[in-house]
Amino acid sequence: MTAAVASLLVGLVLGYLGQRSRMCFVGGIRDFLLVRDTALLKGLAAFALSAWIAFPLARLVAGAARDAAGSVDAVTALLTVAGGFGVGYVSTLANGCPLRQHVLAAQGVTSAMTYLAGFFAGAVAFHVWVAPAVFRWLP
Amino acid sequence: MSSYVASGFSRTKGNEEQTNHQGERARGVVRVTAVHMGVIAGILAVAAEAFFEVRPPEAYGVCMACHGRDLVNWTINTLAATALPVAPASLVYPLLTTIGVFAGGLIAARRHGEFRWVLPDHPAKTFLYGALVMNFALVAGGCAIRLTLRTAAGEPLGAAGFGAMAAGIVLGTRWLRWRATR
Repeated sequence: MTAAVASLLVGLVLGYLGQRSRMCFVGGIRDFLLVRDTALLKGLAAFALSAWIAFPLARLVAGAARDAAGSVDAVTALLTVAGGFGVGYVSTLANGCPLRQHVLAAQGVTSAMTYLAGFFAGAVAFHVWVAPAVFRWLP
Repeated sequence: MSSYVASGFSRTKGNEEQTNHQGERARGVVRVTAVHMGVIAGILAVAAEAFFEVRPPEAYGVCMACHGRDLVNWTINTLAATALPVAPASLVYPLLTTIGVFAGGLIAARRHGEFRWVLPDHPAKTFLYGALVMNFALVAGGCAIRLTLRTAAGEPLGAAGFGAMAAGIVLGTRWLRWRATR
């Protein structure tokens, strides 16, 4: 219950700030390449940097030991790289990262709403068809 | 001549910015930049995981794809007694980040008069993009936000995924530019 309420509140804050700042986690690199605009890229760097500083601090305060990273097998690495590439490429074509699409849909942009319909349908499709098909062909 | 034009442009732009700034300050509106958003998002993502049980897995504080998948699968599991997979953090109650972001965006857009209906260009194409991004994100183990978060948490696999995502954005942008100038 704590996690559900916390994630709802975190989402509210991020949605509000995301709408005001037009933040996009994919748009930073795209805007820099297209028009040398660094506004969103600075946001991405700020996110990574603040999380990088906050992780050890939170561990210190919460006192929870971090699970040691297990051995990385080649298949998982390959899937992560392939998936990451796909996320970057298709998000660029779709004109924004998933967070930006949620905010755009909340602003009344109907193409972002159809994107979200595909997004959530894709989750079910992944677990019902895609994942079983992919894992059947993997060692 | 060009320097004159340039300086004139910059002066005009500066004045406009000043006016806007004063106007916004007069109405008590704080300008939110991407850097503000990035810093707050980073802290909230780590805090949600460390203090509010948004885990396991590690670095799961904010993810639009994984949390969206958890919500959809949890709802279908509850309604239809199916056994679609959800993350351990969403076993009892689902994570509601996606609903929160949508509601937060709606409140901000309404409050600042920026809500307006825009008709879709290519509904089938955007639907497909959405489905593809979700599938790729679930294969990679995170959307753009969580891949960055995993990198910040010091996970080598997350960094590999983030690097691949950056490469994907570069290639996607090149493709967009090529199509626009063809």
